[in-house]
Amino acid sequence: MHRVVVTGLGPVSGIGIGVNEFTAGLRSGRSAAAPITSFDASGFPHHWAGEVPAFRPEALLRRLRVADWGRSALFAAAAARLAAMDAGLSLPATDPARVGAVVGTTSGESTVVEQLTAELVAGGYPAMSAEALRQAPAERLSYAVSAELGLAGESVTLTTACSASNYAIGYAYDLLCWGEADVMVAGGADSVCRWAHAGFYRLGALTERACRPFDRDRSGILTGEGGAALVLETLKHAQDRGARIYAEVLGYGVNCDAHHMVAPNEESVAACMRLAQENAGVKPEDIDYISTHGTGTPANDLCEARAIRAVFGDRVPPVSSIKSMLGHTMGAASGFGAIATTLGIRHGFLPPTINWANPDPELSWIDPVPNTARPATVRVAQNNGFAFGGNNAITIFGAIR
Amino acid sequence: MTGLVTGWGVLSAAGDSVTELLAAVRAGAVVGVDVRDRFDEPLPTAQAPAIADFDVRRLLGRKGTSFLDRATALAMVACGRALADGGLTPDDDNRHRVGVVLGTTTGSLKSTMDFSRETLVQDKPYLVNPVLFPNTVMNCASGQAAIRYGLRGVNATVAGGPLAFLYALRYALNALRRGYVDALLVGGVEEYTPNTAWAAELTGAGPAGEAAAVYLLRRPTPGLTEAPRAQVLAVATGFQPEPSADGLAGCVRRALATAKVRPADVWAVASGDLDADSLSEVVPAAAQRWSVRPALGDCQSVTGALALGVLLGRYAEDPDARGRPALIVGRSRDGAVAAAVVRG
Repeated sequence: MHRVVVTGLGPVSGIGIGVNEFTAGLRSGRSAAAPITSFDASGFPHHWAGEVPAFRPEALLRRLRVADWGRSALFAAAAARLAAMDAGLSLPATDPARVGAVVGTTSGESTVVEQLTAELVAGGYPAMSAEALRQAPAERLSYAVSAELGLAGESVTLTTACSASNYAIGYAYDLLCWGEADVMVAGGADSVCRWAHAGFYRLGALTERACRPFDRDRSGILTGEGGAALVLETLKHAQDRGARIYAEVLGYGVNCDAHHMVAPNEESVAACMRLAQENAGVKPEDIDYISTHGTGTPANDLCEARAIRAVFGDRVPPVSSIKSMLGHTMGAASGFGAIATTLGIRHGFLPPTINWANPDPELSWIDPVPNTARPATVRVAQNNGFAFGGNNAITIFGAIR
Repeated sequence: MTGLVTGWGVLSAAGDSVTELLAAVRAGAVVGVDVRDRFDEPLPTAQAPAIADFDVRRLLGRKGTSFLDRATALAMVACGRALADGGLTPDDDNRHRVGVVLGTTTGSLKSTMDFSRETLVQDKPYLVNPVLFPNTVMNCASGQAAIRYGLRGVNATVAGGPLAFLYALRYALNALRRGYVDALLVGGVEEYTPNTAWAAELTGAGPAGEAAAVYLLRRPTPGLTEAPRAQVLAVATGFQPEPSADGLAGCVRRALATAKVRPADVWAVASGDLDADSLSEVVPAAAQRWSVRPALGDCQSVTGALALGVLLGRYAEDPDARGRPALIVGRSRDGAVAAAVVRG
C-alpha cells in the first residue's frame, strides 16, 4: 500500500483563481457573492450567486481549444492546469498511462444543456445544435483534464452530485494506494445555471444575498460555480522528484442514506464519518478541524452538527463552511473543501465561516470559526461532502510526517 | 480482486432476458418498436429500439413512483430484478455492505431539459415543480434505487456514455477489492425520449436506443452458495485522443495481462459497434464478434452492460463456451478506451 500525498492545488473560484489568490481569499474571508451575470436572473426574487466573473479559460489553458468544450469542462481543465503547474509536474509525463484524472460533478455541462433547451424552445427539437449535443455528455469533464494535460491513464467523471469531488479524491487515492497510478488529478467542476437556481429557490433552500452557515438566522444557499483540482501522487513518486508536499491523504469514506432524495440523514452522515475515520486510521480525538458541507440551510446544518456531535461527543473540533464565501459550488464543493483543508494544514490556519452573526442555541457545541481566519496547528482534518440521492463522501487529510 | 456476476436484470427493446437480447443481436436487424403515440412532440422516426409496454406502477406499485422519470424507473426495476435473481435480500445485517454503481451519460436529458424549459416558458422563471428537481441530478437513479431497496453501501454514478458501464465495473471492482462492500448492483440505463431521439438523429449517432441492464456483483468468498453466471476478471481504461492503432489494443493488452489471460485464449469480443479490423492484432481472428448497436441502437451508457448480457446469453446456451474468457470493449469519440475481461 502506497502512501498518498497532495502536491498541487488548482482552485478556479469566485474568491480567487490559483493557489495564492485563493489562499488570500480564505485568509481574508472574501466573498464571491454578487448579482448573477451568467443568465438573466431579473425574474427571480433572489438573484445573487457565487460566480467566477474573472474566469478566462483561454488565459489558463495551453492545449484545449476553448470553443470545443462546455463551461464546466473548461473549469475542470483550467483547475487541473493550475494544479499541475503548482505541483511542478513535468508534462507530458514519462509514462502518461500512469497519470490519470477523476472529476466530480453535479450537473455536468449544465450551461450547454440550457443552451439546447433555449434552442428547443425557440425552434423545436430539430433546432438543437449538434455541436452542443456533442458537448453535453458529462464524461467530457475528465476528458478535458486528460486532453489538456496529455494524460493517458484512467479518465473518469463521477456524477454523485454535491459530494462528487470527495468521491473523485477517494477513488484517485485508492488507485494510487494500490499502485495502479503514480499521479492522479482529482477534483470537481460545475457551472451556475438557471435551472438549479430555480430548483433551489422552489425548494425554499435559496438565500437572498448572504450564505450564513451555522448562524441562528441562516436561510439557505447561494448557488456557486468553479473548478477545484488537486494533484495527488504516491509519496514515493513525490519524493523521487523532489516535490513540495502539502499534506497526506489519509483516507476516505462513502455511504448512502437510502432514505430521501433531498433531506439529509443524521444517522448515516455520522456513519460516513466513522467509515472515513476508520479508513484513514484516525480517531475523532485526532481531528483538529472539520471543513463542513455547511450549506447554510436550516436542515443541513442541524443534521450535520448533530452527526458531528454523535461522532465527536464532548470534544468537537472547530468547524467552518467555506460555502459562506464561495456559494455552493455543487460538484466542486468538496474539492474546494479539500483545497482549503490542505492549505489549513500546510499554513496553520482555519478558514472562517463568514456572514456569521448569532449563535444557534440548537447547535451550542459548534464553533464555526466566525468571520475571520484563525491561526491553528492542524495535524489531521476532515472534509465533509453530502449530496442529493443520499450520497455522502468524506475525505481525511493529515500533515505529512 | 475479481467480482462474481450472480444475478441480472435486463430490460431492452428485445425483451426482458439475456436470451432474447442475444437472439436480437444475433439477428442483427434493428428492433423496431412503434413509438408514434408515446409523446406529444414529433419524433425523428416512427419506430425505434425502445422498450415496449413498460409500466412502472404495475411493476413497482403506486407508492413512491409518481414523480420518477423513465430512466430512474427503468433502473429501479432492473436493480430489483438483479437482486432477486442473485438471491440477495437486503436486511439490517447486510444493507450497509451492499451498494449501487450505475453508468450514465447526462442523467435524464428529458428531466433536465423539461425543468430548464419551465424557467423559460412560465410567467415567472421560478415556477418550476420542486418535486421534479431531484430528477435533474445525474445520481437520481442510483439514489432512488438505494432508497427503494434500502442499500446503504457505496453508491456511485459514473459518467462515460458508451464506456460508462466499463467505468462502473472498474469502480465496483475497486470497492470490492478495498473491502468497502460485499456486493454491488452494477449497470447502466438510458431512456428513449424525444430528447435522446433527436440528439441521436442530429449528431448522426442514431437511432437512439433504450435499455436498463444491471448485474449483481459479489465479492468471491468461500461461503457464497450462488453459482455465478460469470466472473469479471479485470477492467482497464485509458485516454488516447490521438488516432493510434495502439489505443484500444493497448488497453485490451493491459486488461488481459491483469486478468492473466492469454490473448490467444479470448473466445469472444462484445461491444457497441466493433469494426472488423479493430483488435485484429490482439485477439484471434476466430474469436466471435458481437455488436449490440445494430439491433438496439445507440444505448449510450448501457451499451457495455448489454454487451455483457449477450456474453451471458452465449455462456448459458453453449456448454463449450463455459470457462473461456471474453472481452467487452469500447471506445468513445473523444478517445477514451476501456476493456473488461470476463469468464463465464
